[in-house]
Amino acid sequence: MIAQAVLDAWYPVAMASQVTTAGQDTQLLGMPVRVFRQTDHSIAVQGATGPLQVRIRFDHVWASPGTPAQDLFTIPEADAPGRRHVPCGVVRVKCSPLRAVENFLDIAHFPFVHTDVLGAEPHTEVNRYEVAIRDDVDEVWATKVTFYQPQAAKSAAGGITTEYMYRVPAPTAAVLYKTCPARPGEWDVITIFVQPLGPELCDVWPWMALYDDTTPMAELIAFQQMIFLQDRSILENQIPRLLPLDPGMEVPTQADLTSIAYRRWLKRHGLTYGAQVVAA
Amino acid sequence: MDWTAVCLAADLPEKLVIAAECAGAGIAVWRSATGQLAAWADRCPHRGMRLSHGFVRGETLNCIYHGWTYGTDGGCKRIPAHPGLVPPASIKVVRFDIVQAQGLVWVAPLGASAALPDLAGLIPVRSLVIEGAAQQLAEALPEFTPHQGQVWRGGYGGLVVQPLGDTRCRVHLLVRDLADKVSASRWAEALRQTVEMELNA
Repeated sequence: MIAQAVLDAWYPVAMASQVTTAGQDTQLLGMPVRVFRQTDHSIAVQGATGPLQVRIRFDHVWASPGTPAQDLFTIPEADAPGRRHVPCGVVRVKCSPLRAVENFLDIAHFPFVHTDVLGAEPHTEVNRYEVAIRDDVDEVWATKVTFYQPQAAKSAAGGITTEYMYRVPAPTAAVLYKTCPARPGEWDVITIFVQPLGPELCDVWPWMALYDDTTPMAELIAFQQMIFLQDRSILENQIPRLLPLDPGMEVPTQADLTSIAYRRWLKRHGLTYGAQVVAA
Repeated sequence: MDWTAVCLAADLPEKLVIAAECAGAGIAVWRSATGQLAAWADRCPHRGMRLSHGFVRGETLNCIYHGWTYGTDGGCKRIPAHPGLVPPASIKVVRFDIVQAQGLVWVAPLGASAALPDLAGLIPVRSLVIEGAAQQLAEALPEFTPHQGQVWRGGYGGLVVQPLGDTRCRVHLLVRDLADKVSASRWAEALRQTVEMELNA
């Protein structure tokens, strides 16, 4: 039995440009769904018991199996003129969709998992940052996050201290705002949209909105894919595969404040698909 | 609880960590720079990452996810995200007993009291995993005796057989005379093929 709050959320199910009239079969929350283009060129998502609500946003197709009270979130910064939108394809990961999001919110792993790219020893310290569950928008936000990075982005030549903000606007989506090397004062937008295929299996669709007019698209995508494949080697080897929501199973520290808030927010809303609720 | 032979001592040199199984649990087995052995539940207490994917530095095993650093006593010594913090003593891994004897590394749940099996006169030469239950292996070796327990004597010397779940075994090949090690190794390869082909037939 899947909780109503889980059914009422929005989830990515496809990259919009890839949807044909022939359509494609995929899964959402363990249920088969079919994504296809209709004769009027609009995109529809069909479940076993009928059509799902659909939105096309951020180059992806989003669907909700329930009756969402809120519309799909927006990223106003991404719409600013001059941004390049980069859908990065899909990476299938044998892990809880919630673990994939939590890993995206984590910076302390950069020196060890993305060595010499997003982090490097001895620059391992995570400074204190601010975390809040913003009641007005009902989102998790982490701000004033800073970290030393040897090569923060494809457009970064050397090491810099990068500033970040993290945002969780939906249970399986996260947005990262990151110092833009090419345009100081602006933020690069990097996201992951996670499609929960099952409680321990997900498709991850990274997407970016960048100020970068020079790097070829293929290189931008390859960079992001490399980063996420490094993450996958972690995500498929965490025990348990489900994300533990109760204390006792894992040991958080101050560097994990974003993850603590994310877990609290999930629990508060009963968003337990992919979670382990009773401590094992 | 019996001891489990996880690998040949020679296959676990200094500064290496490997994944193994003991009593149905995944474990990380490692040897420090000075030769100290340790066996732990294969799970970092922080975020559940397998410690067998980690790396050995000096006398510590480090988790590959966030670099949390554990000493041979299983206690967390360092959290790289907070270099100034002394980790509380409560952060520690789940430990197993471990001993090196008769050319093998043996592991058991903490406080194991069973004696190690007697391998007198036998020298371990290699390990292999066979996709078959111990029962199927026994049927392929009718001349070996006994088929109870871990140590089956026969052939060039014998086998230490450690079931991995219900469908696989880790087997350590033993010889009486080291001069036989190449022939014995080929014999063990053929044994594996026999068992696995019968299962696929």
